[in-house]
Amino acid sequence: MKVSCLQENLAKGLSIVGRAVASRSTLPVLSNVLLATDGDRLKLSANNFELGINCWVGAKIEQEGAITIPARLLADFVNSLPPERIDMELDESTQTLHLRCARFESNIKGIDAQEFPVVASASDSDVAIKLDPESLRLMIKQVVFAAATDESRPVFTGVLLQFDADKLTMAAADGFRLSVRSAVLNQNVADTLEDAGLAGNGAKAPSLIIPARALTELARVSGEQEEPIDLIVTSGRRQILFHLQDIELVSQLIEGDFPDYNRIIPKGYSTRSVLDTANFLKAVKISHLFARDSANIVRLEISPSGDELMNGRITLVATSAELGDNVAEIDASIEGDSMEVAFNAKYLIDVLSIIDSPQFALETSTSSSPGVFRSIGDENFTHVIMPMHIQTR
Amino acid sequence: MTEQTYRVDVIGHQWAVELLTRQHNGGRMPQSLLLAGPLNVGKATLARHFAQLLNCTGDGKPCGVCRSCRKVVSGNHPDVRILDDEHETLKIDQVRDLQHELSLSPVEGRCRVAVLCNFERATAGAANALLKTLEEPASQVVIILTAPDPAGLLPTIVSRCQIVTLRPLPADQVQAALQEKWGAPAAQAELLASLSAGRLGWAVRALTDESFLERRQARLDDLRDLLQMHRAERLAYAQQLSRDVLALKEALTLWLTIWRDVLLLRSGSRAAIVNHDWQDSLQLLASKGSVAQAGEIVLKLQQALLNLDRNVNPRLNLEVALLRLPRYAEF
Repeated sequence: MKVSCLQENLAKGLSIVGRAVASRSTLPVLSNVLLATDGDRLKLSANNFELGINCWVGAKIEQEGAITIPARLLADFVNSLPPERIDMELDESTQTLHLRCARFESNIKGIDAQEFPVVASASDSDVAIKLDPESLRLMIKQVVFAAATDESRPVFTGVLLQFDADKLTMAAADGFRLSVRSAVLNQNVADTLEDAGLAGNGAKAPSLIIPARALTELARVSGEQEEPIDLIVTSGRRQILFHLQDIELVSQLIEGDFPDYNRIIPKGYSTRSVLDTANFLKAVKISHLFARDSANIVRLEISPSGDELMNGRITLVATSAELGDNVAEIDASIEGDSMEVAFNAKYLIDVLSIIDSPQFALETSTSSSPGVFRSIGDENFTHVIMPMHIQTR
Repeated sequence: MTEQTYRVDVIGHQWAVELLTRQHNGGRMPQSLLLAGPLNVGKATLARHFAQLLNCTGDGKPCGVCRSCRKVVSGNHPDVRILDDEHETLKIDQVRDLQHELSLSPVEGRCRVAVLCNFERATAGAANALLKTLEEPASQVVIILTAPDPAGLLPTIVSRCQIVTLRPLPADQVQAALQEKWGAPAAQAELLASLSAGRLGWAVRALTDESFLERRQARLDDLRDLLQMHRAERLAYAQQLSRDVLALKEALTLWLTIWRDVLLLRSGSRAAIVNHDWQDSLQLLASKGSVAQAGEIVLKLQQALLNLDRNVNPRLNLEVALLRLPRYAEF
């Protein structure tokens, strides 16, 4: 193998595949990154049996070949080099890669590319669902944060993808909160899914559970992508593949049944408050300073004005036995009864940070029933937070 | 020349292989399985055999030729995770990592297989963390635990598994296997087979460990000397041997089988003696002592072995045991 490419390109490619490198594994080759010539480009590939990423970078290929190189060392080395051309040459007999850039030269010992487990790649015969990258990134941003980080219920560490004719819905939950967002696709995917062996199950729409981490990585690597992203489910529905322009991301799926989240979303409400997103976020952040020491509890006192021409108001109360307390007042237009409910301030900050619209609605019923957050002017987003128990005085 | 096969063959335990194969073929493979039986009797081998069977892509499963079967043997199969550190405790983090892995769809095989060898080394936390996974594993998951004795595990673990108890193999089966599969000379195979107490894994290890027979001979000579030593010499010997607990355990186990044989010979039993090669010395010992005396020494040695696992000071422990041995002026 004899290849030359630019330092910037190689460094960027390595940072893209870097997240899929196994940090500790029984297989030493998994902490390596695969460098292989592919047509007139250099293919980088990393795989940890949960997430695999292929990335192609422009290069001048003089001689074909492939090798795997310790990912950490290579990335650190390439990142430290000046932005010039890097020449790489593989010594087949010793499996050592010789790199030369400006006045630096190094030899890095690798492992035979044959030992590297192949990362699945898209082929022309695969049936793909085209997704708009902009809306996909928004969906990921608004849903992924609600997924659980502990492994006690594996399905909750993933994000549910549900396909319904021309609609895609993503949902994530961790037992305390639920985030759901749907988007309209520009094609009816029922037939495509049928071909991919992903037919629905009776009345249930076809669905998959993807590890939250894979979607976070997808959002990260798709940052510059403007062309549609292809979503492909590999045969036997065990992996999902996202095909971008120069990048492919493959993730294992999580096995199991995601609970029916629709039953968690309350059907009605007794009080509906419309608030300014930025102002409310600021007030919650201030309350959080005082709530940190007392289980993040922030109490919301919702009081309608009783007069149609006047605004109602919401009072946020956070009390810490040791530090002191804080009361914040916010104007809101409120329909319904006055009431009190308490939420985890951290969850409020999380959801308010990802609502894009200037105003949002909070729907509540009683102090022990969940609160529903919707962004005004965007029907497709729903967020549910379980209330915290407050003692009535 | 036949193609090299990487099939993990189980020697003996035919009934267990048949039982599980039948269940697998009938689509009733238990997803949580506990293989019980003495150390080195073949539990892990049986587990790996089934890991191959479950993911084999060839004919006559497990074929031992397909990529999947080969990867199981080399330990590179992404869907088969075998945790078999012998002496380390199994910690909760390892169980959590495993659970995360098991929640994902298989990478290339049909199902994900987790083999947790010697599960008695799991901490209480690790064992409890596994309960939920054992109780309702995802559809593509098979978990195989092995342990010498189910009674040593949490009852909540045991009750969630199908238990298959492997019994020691007959000595002639061990001998035949040693000769055919490992090319051992007949005499050595016979001796190791009878020493192994039906544990083929132990016999194979003794066979491949070149110094094993030398060490055994040295300990037999030591015993001969000990029987002629007076107290001070015995105490000095105890101090020296007790420095290495593993060697101490090996010596006590060997001497236990010797005194067992003496007891059998003295009481006129027809049961097979284990240490054939020491037959003459055994006869001599039997002629010198009584049944009661031999019986007591067996009990003491057994007690000493048990004490080692209970953190008794090895030196004191050995001293007590050695002082019980009779003293003969000539031996």
